[in-house]
Amino acid sequence: MKRIFTYLFVLIGLIVLAFSPIQDAPLLIDIKCISTQKIFEANDEITLQFSTSEKVLPHLYYSNNYGSTLIVPTYHNAILSYIIPQKLSRKSGLVNWKLLYKDNSISGEFNIIPKASVNTIETYIGPPSINAGGDDFTMLVVIPTDVFDNPIKDHTEVSIRHQFLSNETNEQIFTKNLIAYKSIYSEEKSGRIIMTSECLEINSKEYDVNVLPNIPTGFTIDYTRNHGYADGNQITTFETSILKDEYGNTVSDGTFVTFFITNKTGHILKISGTTLKGIATAKMIHPDYEEQWMVKAFVNGIAESNAITLNYKSVILDFNISLSENNRIITVGPLQSFMKQLMPDGLEVTLSVYKDNTLLKRYKKQSTTGFVTFNLNGQFLKTDTYEFRIETAGLEKTIKTKLL
Amino acid sequence: MKEKSNKYLIAALLIGIAFHGTSIFFTLESTYDALIHLFFADHYAENWFEPWSYKWYTGFTVMSYPPLVHQSIAILSLIGGLKFGLFTVTIISVILFITGVYKFALLITANKTAAGYAAILAVFSSSFVETLHLFGQLPSIIGISVLMHALPEIYLWLKTGRSRYLLMALSFIAITVCSHHVTPIFGMVFFIFPLIGMVIMDISKERVNSISAVNFNVFFKTFLSLFKRIIGFGLLSLLIIIVCILPYWINSKNNPITQVPIPHGSRDNFLEITSSGLVFFLIPWGVLLILLPYVFYRYYSKRYLFFGLSITLLTILGTGGTTIIPKLILGETAFNILTLDRFTLWASIMALPLFGEFTYRFVETDLKVLIQSKFGAIYHRIIGGVLAGLFLFMAIFTMSLGYFRPSQPQKLKMLPIVNFLNQDQHDQWRYLTLGFGDQMAWLSAQTNAMTVDGNYHSARRLPELTTRAIERLENSKFKGVEGIGSLQQFLTAPEKYSLKYIFSNDKFYDPILYFCGWQRLRQLENGVMVWEKLNVPPVSSILPKVEVSKWQKILWGIVPFTTLIIAFILNIQLLRLRSLKKKAKVIPEYLNFKNSYSNFSNSLLKITHIWSAFLALIVCFGLYVFYLKNDSQRSPKNAILAYYDALDFKAFEDAYRLIDPNSKLPIAQYMLEISVTDGLLGSYAKLEDIETIITNKNDSTAIAKVITNWVTPLEKISKTDYKQLSKRKGQWYLQPDNLSPDLPPDQLYSQNITKYYNQGRRRVTSEQTHHEDVLKQPVLEILSSKLIRYNNSYAIVGEIQNIDNVPADIVLQGTLYNDTNKELASYNAKYDVKHKLMPKEVSSFRINFEGIAWSKIKDSIPKTFNPDEFTPVAFEEQPTKFNLQVAGNVSGTDLYKSVGISALQINKQTITGRLFNSGTEEVTIPQLLITYYDKNKTLLWVDHLFLKDGIRQQRLRHFNYPILQNDSIKLISNDMSNCFVNGLPNKDISDKIVKNRIQNHTASVLQKIEHKNYGFIKVEINNYVGNPN
Repeated sequence: MKRIFTYLFVLIGLIVLAFSPIQDAPLLIDIKCISTQKIFEANDEITLQFSTSEKVLPHLYYSNNYGSTLIVPTYHNAILSYIIPQKLSRKSGLVNWKLLYKDNSISGEFNIIPKASVNTIETYIGPPSINAGGDDFTMLVVIPTDVFDNPIKDHTEVSIRHQFLSNETNEQIFTKNLIAYKSIYSEEKSGRIIMTSECLEINSKEYDVNVLPNIPTGFTIDYTRNHGYADGNQITTFETSILKDEYGNTVSDGTFVTFFITNKTGHILKISGTTLKGIATAKMIHPDYEEQWMVKAFVNGIAESNAITLNYKSVILDFNISLSENNRIITVGPLQSFMKQLMPDGLEVTLSVYKDNTLLKRYKKQSTTGFVTFNLNGQFLKTDTYEFRIETAGLEKTIKTKLL
Repeated sequence: MKEKSNKYLIAALLIGIAFHGTSIFFTLESTYDALIHLFFADHYAENWFEPWSYKWYTGFTVMSYPPLVHQSIAILSLIGGLKFGLFTVTIISVILFITGVYKFALLITANKTAAGYAAILAVFSSSFVETLHLFGQLPSIIGISVLMHALPEIYLWLKTGRSRYLLMALSFIAITVCSHHVTPIFGMVFFIFPLIGMVIMDISKERVNSISAVNFNVFFKTFLSLFKRIIGFGLLSLLIIIVCILPYWINSKNNPITQVPIPHGSRDNFLEITSSGLVFFLIPWGVLLILLPYVFYRYYSKRYLFFGLSITLLTILGTGGTTIIPKLILGETAFNILTLDRFTLWASIMALPLFGEFTYRFVETDLKVLIQSKFGAIYHRIIGGVLAGLFLFMAIFTMSLGYFRPSQPQKLKMLPIVNFLNQDQHDQWRYLTLGFGDQMAWLSAQTNAMTVDGNYHSARRLPELTTRAIERLENSKFKGVEGIGSLQQFLTAPEKYSLKYIFSNDKFYDPILYFCGWQRLRQLENGVMVWEKLNVPPVSSILPKVEVSKWQKILWGIVPFTTLIIAFILNIQLLRLRSLKKKAKVIPEYLNFKNSYSNFSNSLLKITHIWSAFLALIVCFGLYVFYLKNDSQRSPKNAILAYYDALDFKAFEDAYRLIDPNSKLPIAQYMLEISVTDGLLGSYAKLEDIETIITNKNDSTAIAKVITNWVTPLEKISKTDYKQLSKRKGQWYLQPDNLSPDLPPDQLYSQNITKYYNQGRRRVTSEQTHHEDVLKQPVLEILSSKLIRYNNSYAIVGEIQNIDNVPADIVLQGTLYNDTNKELASYNAKYDVKHKLMPKEVSSFRINFEGIAWSKIKDSIPKTFNPDEFTPVAFEEQPTKFNLQVAGNVSGTDLYKSVGISALQINKQTITGRLFNSGTEEVTIPQLLITYYDKNKTLLWVDHLFLKDGIRQQRLRHFNYPILQNDSIKLISNDMSNCFVNGLPNKDISDKIVKNRIQNHTASVLQKIEHKNYGFIKVEINNYVGNPN
């Protein structure tokens, strides 16, 4: 199959060759450029003309910053005219050309400058949010372009206006290397900078940059609670003062504050809150035994609060234990709170069963209407004497009894 | 003599088309395979000559499956859409199957009535019903049907030597191989070889005039005389098998199946796994089981001897892993690659002619006479009724299996997903479906978007998939830890495959998505939840592809269909010739070998009776065992099993029935208590196995220790419960568990929180996002990071802070290098980080380097699956430095932070404590991040703990964390010069925003512990809210 193709190819080649014209011997032809204009405005009709001694029609190689192409001439009265298509003549910038005629090629260049009127203003701004305080900045880049999307020529004036709080400023900058740009620094206050630019009486649309508060500084914390009893049920609310940065701006909503609570035994509990209008709130359930809490809040690595101390008074001073049904049912209670009311449901009671000082089993149960009942079935605890330690609300009682 | 149409065949065709033609609309789309074939067809419809499909597995070749059926559907889809094509081809396959069985039966029995019966029986044959309506194996059905059409032609060629028959036979074989590659290969062995044997027998018989006079000598001589024809046919068909789908063979050779074999039910031990036994043995055999003695008796008669051997072999191979024999016959490799159910299918099809013959004899001739004379006419009728009843029952049972035990999730409306993918350039990223079942193929057929998953596992290419016995990622939960392990590798580092969207139809996967850093986008109208991952680049516009030469593409596109056309023309030609010649039709040679149906063997009838009684006994025994196992209250063990089973399937009413009625727990209260237990175990766990130990039992009470293993999307959970049971009126009941009586303090309370909304594009436009609508990436700061060798694995640990003013979703990617700066591994942070950070929030992190993270994947994957395990092989592969890339993106979701630690107790082994949820959302899965520091308070290691139960609002939840013991920790590098945030050096950022950072600020509030390696720990809390209010 492949061979057939090869034969076919050779055959066609031969036929083509048979009809090819015989090459002329090279003649010296004199071609000269007769166009002199070196600067055009975008969209001008541009025609490059050459005088020629013979009628030949060489291609013109045309190269601008978008790419290169070849242009075919028209011949009239010994003049070769190359009409640059509109698509190309609309693009500003340096143009190099070269006439492709054998060895004696001639080349040249000319400039297309943009129109002197602005059609659109391309604007870029970033970052869209910066920190208050004057160190951080955003950059506005303005590219005024003419109707053919060519950047306006260098040193065109661009006015930049921006508004921040009560200030409105207007500054003039000039385009350079096709663009005009300006760094806009934040001020001490947070807020929103609105900006626009103008060039040759054309205005851009509105742009904005948010100036966000800087990092917080030291703050204080406080707490509110319904009562100071360790009932394991009520909730204490911790609150920060308004977190502000060093310029007095209230920090952004959502700033994360961690409250560390160091308790009497040196264990570190923790809650967290996020700020709203600068205030972070966090809630913690009361402990269920006498406790002293030292609380301090942190914005990690950045700011911290004062330390405050809270005391929780014990509500249960004593409790009863009763045994029934072969001592296999242990009832703890009534568990009474500070006004002798029954404890709200959910107070945890732990029963630890020991035999010869080794822990056999630990039961945890929560109180219901002031009582907790442990039902010790025969599965784990065979008939024997055991020691039972019952803990609740920081109190511990031990009884030793025989299970039947 | 004008040939009369066979009325049985006509009836079979009419019934078959009516029966299957209507029912396929309710069954076919929920079969395993039909939609896969539809997807392939869609590929051909769009791209007939291009074998490469980008849609699955990041690209695969459709030359991995014979194309004829797919191409036929594709052609028909041009008329009425893909599903029209599918159903039309299915109906054609039904017709082909029925006529095929008729032809085969006629060849075997040489009796038109018997063959007609066979055709009718074929319509309802349970193996056919199962293959079509349960498995949807269209190519397989078409393959075997066409092969059966070829059999008479082969017989006639061998017998008469007329080339016309050879031509016909070969053209049928060509169609067979273009439809299904396995059928002609095994068909050669199991159908054609015995057929050749039969031809030789027949010719030998003609030579010596009686079948009993045929001995080996005669047989061998005949064989030699036919040798040329046999060899001629053999070689030509081999040539056809090779040439017609040559690209397939080339592709198989170039891409040999090196994957880890995927378990298939047909390889199970059917006695152990009874469900496989049912589906792959009982159903396909169906009523034929009763007739086995007859089938074997007939096939072992001298003429059919080779069929006897063949069906014996097929039967044995079809028993899968029940005995060791199939493995010995096939060898380990073939055994693990082949699905053995096809052998049973072929065996049952091979038995069909004799089933027809039996029915014929039973209904019309000698067997009827025998039974009636022996047992009376009534007995004959009863037996007939029973057999017919059983036969129809098997057909209906098989048909309804997909209805009562659906193998697929509910049918999904795909349009919302298709629309979503078309919107807003969402198809520029890859997607993944979860919990779609085989419907994912239907989605793939409808969208241009690509998925990393796929549904044709032989074509899997990614090492993450081929090194695991994972069929699809989509249903990974059914593959236990290994499945989830494979899935989470894709979820953790989705950038690798530009995986950005996940369509989840199964709540089960929600936690793993969340903890791998995905966020919920929205729920579509069809109930499917869309998850997205931030910071994933779109699929590149030029994708790799394995190119095949043009001639292969052309061959693949043209030849299969040409075989169809040639066969068609040949058949038409034949019909035309016959009608033109107007002479009496040549009676096919095989019709000369009639059996006499006048003397049904008495002992065979006896054996069949004994066999039936034996079968009935087995069935009764099986039912009794089944009853014992499933009578939920017969024993405490049964009660426990039934209770957990009911809970696992969320059949709470059934579970309630097992609760002691004397406990006076009203059902409303029970349901309420169940409904308030949310959490990893309550909502996302699947019971894997359960062990019940009755520790204490007397007449009326028992205590059971129940050890349960649960597969959750995050980890395997083992749980031990103690349940008390009571016997009431001979039935065992469970005692209800106690519920926490804890009362929250507030009835109604409020919480002020900051909410965020990202507009995205402010203008409604399909253009690229305007640059002013692009948010700045939140600035993060890496506070510390170091490369650690922990026991035998490497990890990057550290702390990161969001120092911006907006909440951030963070993606951490770590890369490890050796001394010569060779990249060794790259992976993302998975569970050990808070993926969403509020402004100024800090999170510890740990990046593990799991199996696929390493460049040398093959070496790094341990034999037993454990995604975290890795030991680098060579010394030069030891990492010594690391690069850490962190990217932040604004995210306004999953920012629930209202959980605190309200109590803490620490001893040498464990940290116990309580979490308190003070906010307004119920936390479904709380996670603790535990950071270990050495005695000098420098960070060493990060660990995590998922809590099994959720925390309701204003409630407490205990936790118990075992402190890491016996670990060896070695610092490899703490050089932070290659840490980058949003592409910028970390140092520049830390110098700029938090210039005067208070170093080790919270060091004073680290928790002291007693440990030989560590001095302090820090506990952070991460919350997954399953159902945000």
